[in-house]
This record gives sequence, C-alpha cells and structure tokens, in this order.
Amino acid sequence: MSAHEPRDEVQITVGYRGLGGQPDRLEPRTVKTADGDAPPWDANTELTAVGSDHSRVDGLAKATGRAKYTSDVTFPGLLQASILRSPVARGKLTGLELDAAAKLPGIAAVIPLKQVGHRVRFVGDAIAAVAGTDLHRVRDALEAIRAEYESEPHTVDYLQAAEAPLLGEHGEITDAWPESAAMAQAIAAAAITHEATYRTEVQTHSSLETHGATARWTGNDLEVFCSTQATFGVRGELAQALQARGLDVGSVTVHAEFVGGGFGSKFGAGVEGLACCLLAHAAKAPVKLMLDRFEEHTAAGNRPAALMQLRAGIDGDGRLCAFDVRSFGGCGFNVEKGDGGGGVAVPDYYTGKAKTRRQHLDIATDTDPARAMRAPGHPQGWFGAELFLDELAAKAGVDPLEFRLRNDGQAMRQDQWRFGAERFGWQQARARPNEPGARYRRGVGLASARWSQLGSPGRQQRHGIQCRIHQDGTVEVRSGAQDIGTGLKTVMTLIAADELGIEPALVKATTGHTSDPSGPGSGGSTTTPSLAPAVRHAAFLARQQLAGLVATRLGVEPGEIVHDGGKVGTAKQSMPWRDACKLIGPNPIDVRGERFPNYKQKPFSSTVCGCQFAEVEVDTWTGLVRVTRMFGVQDCGLVIARKLAESQVLGAMLQGISYALHEQRILDRQSGRMLNGDFLRYKILGAEDVPELDCHLMTVHNGHSSTPAAGLGEPPAVAAPAAVANAVFHALGVPVRHLPITPDKVLAALAGRKG
Amino acid sequence: MTVPTDPPRGVSRRSFLKGSAIAGIATTGLTAAAAAPREAQSFGPGEHEISLSVNGTARKLTVETRTTLLDALRNRLDLTGAKQICDRGSCGGCTVLLDGQPVNSCLLLALDAVGHAVTTVESLGTGDTPHPLVQSFVACDALQCGYCTPGMVMSSLACLQQRGQPTREQMRRDLSGNLCRCGTYGRIFAAIERTAQGGGK
Repeated sequence: MSAHEPRDEVQITVGYRGLGGQPDRLEPRTVKTADGDAPPWDANTELTAVGSDHSRVDGLAKATGRAKYTSDVTFPGLLQASILRSPVARGKLTGLELDAAAKLPGIAAVIPLKQVGHRVRFVGDAIAAVAGTDLHRVRDALEAIRAEYESEPHTVDYLQAAEAPLLGEHGEITDAWPESAAMAQAIAAAAITHEATYRTEVQTHSSLETHGATARWTGNDLEVFCSTQATFGVRGELAQALQARGLDVGSVTVHAEFVGGGFGSKFGAGVEGLACCLLAHAAKAPVKLMLDRFEEHTAAGNRPAALMQLRAGIDGDGRLCAFDVRSFGGCGFNVEKGDGGGGVAVPDYYTGKAKTRRQHLDIATDTDPARAMRAPGHPQGWFGAELFLDELAAKAGVDPLEFRLRNDGQAMRQDQWRFGAERFGWQQARARPNEPGARYRRGVGLASARWSQLGSPGRQQRHGIQCRIHQDGTVEVRSGAQDIGTGLKTVMTLIAADELGIEPALVKATTGHTSDPSGPGSGGSTTTPSLAPAVRHAAFLARQQLAGLVATRLGVEPGEIVHDGGKVGTAKQSMPWRDACKLIGPNPIDVRGERFPNYKQKPFSSTVCGCQFAEVEVDTWTGLVRVTRMFGVQDCGLVIARKLAESQVLGAMLQGISYALHEQRILDRQSGRMLNGDFLRYKILGAEDVPELDCHLMTVHNGHSSTPAAGLGEPPAVAAPAAVANAVFHALGVPVRHLPITPDKVLAALAGRKG
Repeated sequence: MTVPTDPPRGVSRRSFLKGSAIAGIATTGLTAAAAAPREAQSFGPGEHEISLSVNGTARKLTVETRTTLLDALRNRLDLTGAKQICDRGSCGGCTVLLDGQPVNSCLLLALDAVGHAVTTVESLGTGDTPHPLVQSFVACDALQCGYCTPGMVMSSLACLQQRGQPTREQMRRDLSGNLCRCGTYGRIFAAIERTAQGGGK
C-alpha cells in the first residue's frame, strides 16, 4: 500500500453554520489525506449539485411502475415457488413424505429444507419447498406434503420464561436490584429520585416487498435477483450454502437494482433465497420464490420486545448523579449466552459524572429470531429513558427542555434543542393548559437522537466505485451495493456531477449488481458515508484522465486544467464538456475509485445528533391518541441530496409514531401462531394518521474524509417514539409506560390518575 | 365533505365462485372460446381466453377462473407496476382504475374486469412526457423505496380526477387504503397539490 502513504497536510474548515440566529461553529483543522485521494471538501467548498434539491434520479422509473423489483423479474418458463412451514412452535420433525406432492400436475421440484429428526424451532420454521408452474398448483402441492412432528411444550411469551423478572400488578419489575454499594450510595445522595419500569412489544419490519428471490442457472453459473440490503453478503452466503450442499457452483451474481424496503431484515438470502436456488437447480428452470405477507410477518425477523427498569437521582442543581438501568430483551429461539439481538441502548450523554450501571439479558422464546431493525435497540431504549427523564423532571418541577439543556453533554445538540424549541414553539405549547374536564387534551413532548456512523473503507478489500466517461459526454458511476430507497443512486450522481463540473443529467448511476465494485450492506446507516468518498475518488481519477487528453489538445500542462460549469480547460482557453469527451475515443475512460480509510485526525463530531418535538391530542373518552404536529432537527454530516435526506427523516418520524401508537405482534400462547399476521390486524401508520410534519437538516463538516457524509437512515428513528410518549405524558399528566400507546392503556392510565 | 360512493365492482370473487348469475361479465370482451350466451353463465375451473381493455388497448390472454386481475396484469401481461403486497385488499399496492374508479386488483377476478376499462400506472409513463402527477411525485420526492408508489399514484390520480382540487382531508381519505412503510404520505399530499395547481405540466 506504499502508494497510499499519507501525503501533504491540508488545512480545512470543519463544523457547521449556526442554526437560526445562532453563531457558526466552525474551526480550522489540519488533516493528512491519503496519496492519490481526492482533496477534502470542507465548509468553504462551493458545491452545485451536492446539497441541492435535485430530484431522485430513479424517481420516474419507480413512479411509473417501470422499475423492476425482484418480485417483478420474469423469464420464459419461470416457475413459482413457496415454502411449507411448521405449525408447531417447538419439537422435532418425525416424518416427511414428499413424493405425492412431486407427482402432482405442474410441479417441477420438491425439496426438503429439514430432515427427519431435525429440530423445529417456531411456528413458521421452513420444512420443505415446492416449485411449479403457478402458485395455485404450488399451494396444492404444499398441502399434499405429509409432515409429522413431535411437539414439545413451548413458550412464546418471554415474560413467562424462567429467566424473566417478576412483575407487580402495574407491570413494574419487583425483583430487587442487584447489589452495588456505589450505586446505592449515589442514589442515597440524590436530592430527588425516581424509579419505573417500561415495556415495548415486538414490531415487524413490514417491508412492502417481501423477502424472496428469483434464481436462474446457466450451467453451473447462478444468477439471483434478491430483495436484499446486502448484495455481496447474499452472494457469499449463497455460494457457501450451495457448495455445502454439494452443488458445483461456478459463479454467483446477485442483482438488486430496486428493493422494496428492508429496514434491517434483509441482510441475508435466508432460507427462502437458498430454497429458490435449490429449486431452480432441481427443476432446471428459473424459479421465483417470494414470501407472502403472513410469512413476512412471522418468519423474516422483527424488532424484539423490551422490558426495562430505570432508577436515577438528580442533585440540587437538577443534574443526574445516579443512573441505573437493567433491561431484558424478548427474543426468538436463537439466544446464545444471553444475546439474541434484543439489546437495549440508552442515551449516554445525559449522565455526565453520574454513577451509571447497565445490565441486560436476552430471553429466548420459541419464536422467529430478532433481526436488526432501524436503529436496533434504540427506539425502545430511548422511549424508556426519555420518558423516565420527563417523569424525573416533573418530580423536580423542571421543564423537560430545561432538564435536557442542563444535562445534555453534547454541544451540538444544545444548539439543536434551542433551535428546535424555537421553531416548534415549545414554550408556548408546553404552557398551554388543558381545560379541566375537556374531552380532548393536548400535550407536547421532546426527545433526543444519536447515532455514530462516518462510514468505513470495507474489510479485506476496500469498497470501490466504477466511473466511466464516454465519448458522447455521458458518465456512468456504478456500485454493486444496493439502493433500498435511501437514495444511493442520487447521491452517486450528484457527487460525480460536482467533481466533474457537469450537469447531473449527464450522469447515470447504477447500483445493485455484484459484477460492479463492492459496497457495504445497507445497515448501520453506512452506505452513503462509506461510498460517497469512493464516488468522489472515482470521478476524481476519471477527471484527471480527461484533463490529460484536453491538456495535450490545448498544449498546456494537465495540472492547469479545470473542470467547471460544463467546461474543461484553462482560464484562457476551454472546451465544452461534450467536445472534450470527443477526445476519448471508442474506449471510455474507465477507472475504479476506492474508499480510503477515514483521516486519522479526530473528526469534528463522531456522533450524529438530533432531537424531535411532538404534539398529541388525546381523546379521553375513547383513549385514542393522535399526533397533530412534529418537528425534527437532524445532523447527517454533509447533506448530499437534500430532498431525499429530508424524506428519510420525515419517514423515520412517521415510522416512530407508528411504533409508538400502533404496532404490536400478537402471538397465541397456545399455538405459538401470530394472530395478526397481515395488514388488516397489524396496523402500520396510514394516510389518516399523518400529522403536520417538518424537519431541519443540518450539514456538519466532520472533516473525516474527502466527502464527509454521515449516516442518516437510523438516527431520526431513535427519537420519535420517545417524543410521542412524552407528549402523551404531558397531555394526560400520567405516563403510559408500555408501547404501543393503544386506547386501552390510555384509558387505564386515566382511570388510575389521582384526582 | 363529499363522500364518494363505492364504484361498481361487478361481482365479488366470492359470489362468482358460488356460481351465481353474473351481470358484468358475459358481455363484450369474452372471445368465442368462452363467450357464447349473453345470459347468465357460469364458468368451471380451467382456462378461459378473454380480452381485457388495458390502457386503451385490447389484450387477449388466457386466465383461470380463479386468476385475479392483479395476477393477470403482472404474470400474463407483464405489467408489474401494480404490486402484490398484502394480497387481501388491505394495502392498496395493487390499485388500478376500473372505468376510472380505484380498485384493489388483488380482490377482483380477471374475468370480472372483462368489458371494463382497466388503467394501470404504466399508462402514465408512456409517450414523450410523463403524466403531470408522476412528475409531481418525483419533484416532491413522494417516494423512497418506491414499492407502494404505483398504487399511491393510482389512488392519487383517482382523487384528482374525482375532486379536482382536493383538500388535505379528502386526500387523507382517498389514500387511506394505501400503505407506505417508508413514510412518504406527507410528500404524496404535496405531489397531489402540486398537480392540482398545474405543476408538472
């Protein structure tokens, strides 16, 4: 790697412009860039396309139905497929007879996914799969499979498991806190203390495109269209799994040009992806296997349930001096060593010098395993912690905003709190009294958000971006990573356009084919911060090659050539972009940029900050909660595609409302089966539930890479449920400590209210 | 607020399967193979050749009695704009217009669409200039993953065609049968407003 040793030091300006009337928070920083990398964009760089309101580049394809998702892909002779699933929550497969199904008309392949003797782990565990000419025949064949099970007693409610803590009549944990002399001392020294228990329920990802794949073999080469948020992960997983089953696999190519949502559930091909490939192999024909909605709810992951207890104390100045949290995750069958993906995160910036303690235990149930879901562990933990803090502040007689300002250790969020409160009209709304006895009660609440994602270069081999400039003046930028709706294609287009000094319309971005350079799985809000600098580098290299051609033509040094405003050349003589590109010839300029590691120097901020404000109206007769208004402030490093970034923030706020008020997987304890595994009974937020919604996105120059984007998908999802719950607390005067805040809980809270 | 009445939907899947007499079916579109008498008729299982009017063009195709309109559009005519998301009329992802009225094509048999004008989202993207509504969807970024979008576009189109200048309340109502997981609703309202005000033309 000697070619990439650090080169000259560059002085840049990092930080952010003042929010509203606040002063700028800008400061100089010296960074060492990698040799060969594009020079850093900083707070003083003037950009045209980047940061603009340019529209989503694949918007028209999506809005006219032309975009082909995995579910839309078809081939001549395509077979449809489906999976037989276990009706038992726990036990053993004792018999599996596939022959009758295989003999039915129109059935091309039947394969077992479990062998006799294998464990069955949850209702919905995959047993066998069938491919046939159409789904009706496939379903007939599934019914003709004879599967026998030896069932065992099961538990689908984690609170009934042996490891679960004991709960009192109000749902509070009654087990004594584990002993800690230091914590006991800190609590005892506090001026005011508080203790309470909070709960959240299982939420399903509910991506609108279900999990699934379309697979086609040509000889021993496999092509898979997969609804995934990790094309390269799927490629590796399938290659390995198919080889493990003794198949001769020449190559695996994965396509995911359009993906109908993922939210953390689509990192793998899964059993359905593998089954699809095996069926296509067995049937010697292309096969499509998409889950149906019930399968999507019950066998494709979820955000696990959480139970958490907090106790804390504040000193005479209203500052936290003790903060004690213990939590439990209600997970699926795959809990190992206390970890099943149910971890609960709580804010760490309020506690300053306070004595803190965190304990967590995941509890297994005989259900579908948890998967990462948009900010795993955060919405549930922030809900508990932020509502708890509002309760504590109320005990102390301190306004929630004032309480945050006193305790929040993050300077950037201090600015955001003040700016957001001003824009939302916090003081006024908070002071507005509800008429005694009024049917509708209003309340406002707020909550913070954090995330930390500045992107990464990839593991063994650095992620890359292909950039081609063609002689007709068009530019291609290509990534094998996927755009799951976050806007990667648009991000790539705008960065390349600015680096080349041309209109975005000349750039065509392509994503989602593993034949192109690798990118990360879209998890942890990594895609844009990881790939933005690679796009930049690719365009930078391509630009240098074009500059060489133009310099030769103009008889000047390549170093004198500038690309700007659609022109290439020097101050004295320049060529229009299209004329310059004619110098290229039939073989395009074709370069691969790479993602260098982040600069070694400390970034301006390594965490992403945000805060949100919500107003609710509660119908005290019916218990219905309606969010009427919401405002969010969010940092995401360099804002690249402004309109798209705002869409993500607004969407996360709506998903947060949905989690706070509506969503809950309900399992039948007797059978272990989900009772509301459809969109009629598993409610997600709809058009009637949308409040007046706005957000403010701030660009923060962290100075960590040439193109300093930060993660955005997850942070705005962290604050929303907590802000809603706090608003309900304000409206009612009593907290509802158990999400979702459904009418029954509101009415119970009102009935239990003193006075 | 004007409350729209339910559009004429022909027969339901259920009543059809019961073999009851059918009004809307045995009319124009059925070809010789299945047409014969104009009076009440019943179709057994098996395949039938029908003709559907889709986006102004007569399309011949073979369907089973149990084939839904959505299935016919997606798997027989390769019009995959309409999506199968819930398959039971609870998400609106499969919305198309039937004689100008929005319907869930997953709840309608292909045979029931014979003799009616079916309009799919693809019709808004043909020609040199896309329909102003889809332009507004793009301009307002009224989509993220885009999977609900075709259904949203068609429900929004019906809302615009029926109300002209819809209020937010009317939009909420008209889109209440369409689900979006990314949370694009607010921007869809903006796209409808932009179109109603002449944007995107």
